[in-house]
Parts: sequence; C-alpha cells; structure tokens
Amino acid sequence: MLSPFEKSDQKQIMKRRDFIKTSALASTAAMAPSFLTQLLGLPLQNSRAGKILVVVQLSGGNDGLNTVVPFQNDIYYQSRPGLAIPPREVLSLNDELGLNPALVALKELYEEGMLSIVNNVGYPNPDRSHFRSMDIWHTASPSDQYWPSGWLGRYLDSNCEGCASPYQAIEVDDSLSLALKGEQRRGFAVSDPAQLSRSMQNPVLRSVGQQYQPHGDHSEEVAYLYKVLLDTQSSAEYLSAQSRKKTSQATYPATPFGRDLKQIAELILADTDTRIYYVSLSGFDTHARQKGIQERLLQQYAEGMKAFVGDLRRQGLLDDTLILTFSEFGRRVAQNASQGTDHGTANNLFLMGGKLKKPGFFNEGPDLSRLDEGDLIYQIDFRKVYADILGQWLEADAGRVLGGNFPPLGLI
Amino acid sequence: MNEIKHLYWRAGFGLSPEEWGRRRSWTRKKAVEELFAAAAQASPLELPARPDVDPRTVDRAELAELQKEERRRVVDQNLAWIGRMADPAHPALLERMCLFWHGHFACRTLQSRLAVGQLNVLREHGLGKFRDLVLGIARDPSMIRYLNNQQNRKEKPNENFARELMELFTIGRGHYEERDIKEAARAFTGWSSTLEGEFVFRRFQHDYGRKSFFGKDGYFDGTDIIDLILERRETARFIATKIYRYFVNEEVDQEMVLELAEQFYQSDYDIGRLMRTIFESDWFYQPRHVGSRIKGPVEMLAGLIRTLHLQLEPQEALLPVQRALGQTLFNPPNVAGWPGGKSWIDNATLTLRLNIPMAIYRSAELEFRPKTELEDQAPARKLGKLGGAAQLEPLYTILKGKSKGEVLEELQEYLLQTPPAISLEPLLQNLRSDNWEDEMKKAVFSMLSLPEYQLC
Repeated sequence: MLSPFEKSDQKQIMKRRDFIKTSALASTAAMAPSFLTQLLGLPLQNSRAGKILVVVQLSGGNDGLNTVVPFQNDIYYQSRPGLAIPPREVLSLNDELGLNPALVALKELYEEGMLSIVNNVGYPNPDRSHFRSMDIWHTASPSDQYWPSGWLGRYLDSNCEGCASPYQAIEVDDSLSLALKGEQRRGFAVSDPAQLSRSMQNPVLRSVGQQYQPHGDHSEEVAYLYKVLLDTQSSAEYLSAQSRKKTSQATYPATPFGRDLKQIAELILADTDTRIYYVSLSGFDTHARQKGIQERLLQQYAEGMKAFVGDLRRQGLLDDTLILTFSEFGRRVAQNASQGTDHGTANNLFLMGGKLKKPGFFNEGPDLSRLDEGDLIYQIDFRKVYADILGQWLEADAGRVLGGNFPPLGLI
Repeated sequence: MNEIKHLYWRAGFGLSPEEWGRRRSWTRKKAVEELFAAAAQASPLELPARPDVDPRTVDRAELAELQKEERRRVVDQNLAWIGRMADPAHPALLERMCLFWHGHFACRTLQSRLAVGQLNVLREHGLGKFRDLVLGIARDPSMIRYLNNQQNRKEKPNENFARELMELFTIGRGHYEERDIKEAARAFTGWSSTLEGEFVFRRFQHDYGRKSFFGKDGYFDGTDIIDLILERRETARFIATKIYRYFVNEEVDQEMVLELAEQFYQSDYDIGRLMRTIFESDWFYQPRHVGSRIKGPVEMLAGLIRTLHLQLEPQEALLPVQRALGQTLFNPPNVAGWPGGKSWIDNATLTLRLNIPMAIYRSAELEFRPKTELEDQAPARKLGKLGGAAQLEPLYTILKGKSKGEVLEELQEYLLQTPPAISLEPLLQNLRSDNWEDEMKKAVFSMLSLPEYQLC
C-alpha cells in the first residue's frame, strides 16, 4: 500500500506524465535515477506515452470450473466425482468461489486488488471445435461468420496513434496469431529479437536489404515484400538493442512462459512504443488425467503472472498496463470417463492491472442448475470485454474495430 | 517475360529445368493442349485401407491410438500430394485445380481414407462440370462430418452444411435469405456418412415435405437445391470471381469477370472450358498479371522442389514448415479456406520463406518454432534442419558455356517472374571456370532467397 505522501507524489508524477505525453521528446525520459529509487524501495517512476495491453492466451480450452471453483455447489461435486477439488483444498475467495490450489500466486494478486475475475464469458451458438472457437475469439466474428482478420489487427488498421510502427503490437512467438492480423496492418512476431535479427541478416538478405531503393517501377507486390523485409530487419535490430539495454532485475520462473513474460517486461521497460503484447501458454486440452496436467500449467501461469505484475509495479508501470487472460472455451460441467473433461462453452476470464474498476469478482459465478445440454450458458459476450478494452483502455473506436456496437461493461 | 512460364506457374507449379529447356519455345496453344491432355489421362488415387477394427466395439484407449495413427497417415497423404505437385510426371494442371478446389471446399480431414476419397472427388470433377463437383462434395463423407450433416435430421435440422453450401461454395452472401438456408437444410436431411466412412442416404431421417426455396415450391431434395442454386447467374459470377482472383489477379477486373461468368453459365458450368478460355486469352498474359501473385506456401514449396529436384530428408520436415507458413493440406483454418494474397505474409512467415533456400543449401537449422497445436500437450519442436539433396545438373546443362551476362539473364528468366528490384550482378562476380559449379550453386540459392521469388 502507498502512504498518503506517496499518493500525492503519484499525482505529481501523473501531471508530469501528462506533460510528457504532449512533449515530442517523450520516449526515454527518466524521472529519477533508478538506483536511488530502488535503494529507497520506492516504485520506479517510469513513464510512457500510452496504455499497454498484454493478452495472455491459454490454448486448448482451460477448465474454468477447476480454475475458479464453486466449492459450495453440490452439482459441481456430483458432476465430477473424480475431478472436483475438495472444499478444504480450495483457496477460497468468498463464500462460494475459490481458486485451484495451484493458484496460490494468483490469490495474492486478488487480495492486492490487482485481479478482476469475469465469470460466464462466451458467445451465442458456441462452437466446440478448438480451431473454430479460437478463430471466433481472434476475429471477434459471430459464430456463423468467417472473418479473415483479427480484432487487434483491425485496431492497428484503425489508424491509432503510432499504429503504423511495425512493432506497435508484438507477439512473443515465432509466428503471428490471427488476432494480430489486420486487413492492412499486422502485428510483429518475435520470440527472441537477437535470433530474429540473425535470421534476417544472412549474407544474402543483408545485401538485399541494403541495396533496395524503393521507386515507382516496382509492382505493388514487390514493394510490399521489400517493405516487410526492411521493417523486419530494422525492427529486429532495434528491439534486440533495446532489450539488451534494459534487463529486468526481477526473478521470473524458469519456464518458457516465465521467459516470455520477462521478455515483455523488458520491452515495456525499454519503452519501445509497443502498446500491445500477445503471449500464449498451451496444453490445456485436458481430456484425460486432467488434475496433474492442469495444475502444473496453472501454477506456471500464476507464478509467471505474479512475477510479471510485481515487476511492473516496482517499475511504476502497472497503472499503465492491462492484462487480459482468456481461453477459447471452458469445458463441460461433467467429467468424462478418463479423469478429464471434454470441450465446453462459457468460461471465466481474468483482467489484471493497477486501474481495474472492479477488482475481485466482476459478476456472479456460473449457474450449474441451468445448463444447455451439460454446458454452461454464457452471460457476457466476450466482444463486450473487447469493446471495453478498445474503447476505454486503447481509446479506439470499438464499434468500428468490432463491426458492431457492444455496450461497455465498466471493467476498466 | 516468357508466356509459357507464366502459364505453367499459374496452371501448375512452374517448370523443372528439363521442362523449361524443352518447352520454353512452345506456342501458348501447344502448352495449353499439353496441360489439358495430361489432366485427361489422370486416374483416381488408390484409397488407403480402412483401419482393421470394428468402430462399434473399439474402446477409448484403442480409439485414441487409432486416431493418432490416422493423423500420421493423413500426413503421408499430405506429403504424397506435394510430391505429385512437384513431380513433372504428374498432371500439373489437375493438381493445381485440386489445390484450388481444396481451398474452396475447405475441409479438415482426420482420416487418410476420407482425405483421399475427397481428393478423388476434386480430381474427377475439378475440370469437369461444377454441378457434379458440388454434388460430389455434398455426398462426401469427410465434408458431411466436417459440417455436421450427420446431425441434420428431419426432427432437428442442422443448418451448417446448407449455410456454407450457399455462403462459401456456390452463390455467396447477399443472394439468399435465412429462410432459404432453413429450407435447404431440410432438403439435405438424411445425407449422412456411415461409421466406416461411406455416403449413406438415411430415408427415415429425410424430410420429404414440401419446401419453399428461392421463391419456388416443391418436394425438393438436396440435388434439386443444388440445381436451383446453379440456375442463378450469381453463382456463375461468384465462382468466376474466385477463379479469376486465384488464377489471374487478386485485383478483380469486373468487366472481364462478368464475361467469363456468362460463358461459364452458358456452358452449363463447364470448369475445363472456363480455364481454357482464361489460359488461351491474350489478356491473361498482360504484364500487369505476370508476377503479381504471392505464391501460397504449398505452391512455393512444390515449385522449389520441382526446380531443384529436391529430395528432402526427412520428408516429414515439410509438415511443420507448412504449418509455420500458414497452409497445411487437409487442415485449412476453417471452412472459408485460406484467405491468400498479402495475408500469407507477415514478418515471421516472410523471414521463414526467405531463409528456406539457404537452410537447404547449408543443410542448416531453421531457427523457428511453430505454434503448438491447440489439442497438443507437448510444445511444438523447432523446425530443425531442412536438409536434402538438390540436383542442379539439369540447370547447369542450360547454363554451361554461356558468358556471365548470358547466365545472369538466363537465371533471372528461369527463376523469377518479376524484374528484380536490385542488381543481381554481384551474385556472379566471383564466377570463374575453376569454381563454376560452387559459385553457380551459391548464385542459384541466393536468387531463390530474393523476395521476388515469392511471386509468380
């Protein structure tokens, strides 16, 4: 908790940030020597021009009912005789709902007001295929339409400030998800900037990049390919240099997911003007022997997030950051015969950050007495969550990006 | 630019060096004849054996094992298909049409026998009558499963197939009402697939009642619905537009497409005649079309293998490469197929495309980890080595004894479909008679690494 003094100090900083926002030289302004603030245990006073969104995708369909557990619900225990988490093991958050015991680290974030849990999120006519449902979450299309572009890609298309920069949206991965592909613009995929830089600098590609001079004689397609090539070369080099400049001192779990989050923290710290980061944790398709598999993944997730949120908070960047965690669907209420669960529908999702409007539970947990052929019924269309993020956080025209108006939920 | 090469890149997968040597001076007409004659000779592919188990009695563990084995066998079919695309012994035009129709009637197939069965429908009718093709797909067990037509029963119709039939396969959005979809779905009730994967018409699930479709009333079944859809000129326009965008130019010439569509309609939807018209027309060879197409991943890989006579080791390396580049055969992203065009290219896919030739040249590791599949527990492995033997002698035969200038011109003409944006002279600056093959090999692989090679 901040002392009253520190609060007023924060206000002071906010004013200065507003000033810096309008200043042309905003990018690397450091407000106090970092060794001094660290020594005094004060939050670092970093600043940035805009808000940051981090999207965490849990791939494979995370079982929401064993993530946020309705530990007072008889139907839950009857439906999952071999899989339900006994009440005494649940990390209770209120009288009815608690977290999977593997989520100790997440509970701390909850208690500190850094976490909003949104229950029963889904969409009409749910599709139980991973691919299709992930497509729907990525494109934000109605479930009977096939859209070729993703919601964050269309945000880049919307001419937002800085959106023309090739690394305005970064996916920490070797390939780019549909969510980040717009009609005109695309996000930037990079798991390790130094490695990408090496790949783009083989002798042929280096000389190709150096020799190219854009002029009107080339076809549009040739110019397009060369632009992507040159952008990739220069961005990889820049990001590689920037992330070398600012290394995070925080301790992250030694998992690939922890490494990805650390990479994001370092890029945020280096103030690379990137506003959107995207990262995935996969393996949640738990049809058999779910317990061990899911708990191992949830623990990786929670410990990674705790390190990441803590790191951002220490750097004074948490108020500028919003983290969304989602999965393509939840799983069926009843377990199957292999100590696992099959593909379901509605699910919970998580928001984290320093500026949540309603930390804790945003809404009530699922109603297990009212199911649709054994599946949860959604209450909140995920596109409303997107609309909040786009409109309230990224200050974009959400209706245009989503192709329809979704009333804001008041999440942020 | 050479017309023959443009034709073979669009109607096939480019030319091997031997084909280039023999055919470069052919007339357009002769080449078109060759393409169609070869396609006419093709025969159906042999169906893989049915798994030796009774689907009614198999237990869960056996089933999981079986599914895994079938996924592997679908990969075999995937690799075999790319092999045919790359191999001059197979009819290039037919394989190209199949690849096009596979993207049009996009379907994810998890069993090898069903995958080959569907491909045989595309092979049989891909250059024939569009009506037969649509009917074949409507009765195809793999598509029936993919679009849930097994669940389309009289008491509780499932509209999935009917909707995609109209929206994506035939007439396109905006030319029908929701009511038409509901009525069409009723007409396709009972069109199902047996557990063994054969088409079956389930009489007791079929709705024999009166239906009203496109303003007409009758006791329609699925075949009638297809005929009523084909009666509409919008269907000919929708298909002609898609064919134009794929084979000619992403940028649609409305007037030209309307002309093609009218001919297509008048010919009773004869696909072969439509393709022949395109390939025999002067406008098809206009410079604005040549080299304007961003190769799809599969055509890029097949073309590369054809040019280099490449024997990849192991063959399976092609699968994660397809996935990483965004196009896996028998596994399209959804029923709308691959969007194509510029959407193939982002910083990651371009980096990989441009690094593939040099990885083969050096037999080096590709630093790239494809995304983990949504249903996989273990994270995907890195692409690793893309090793293999290229056979360049046929290409050298064309180049030997020529001056540096002539070699450069020759290579450029053979390998690139668009004038290079940079000077290629430095690539041959060290070429001498005592290092000729080494330097030539380097130059060839360097040219294959140019962004321009991604176009055809």
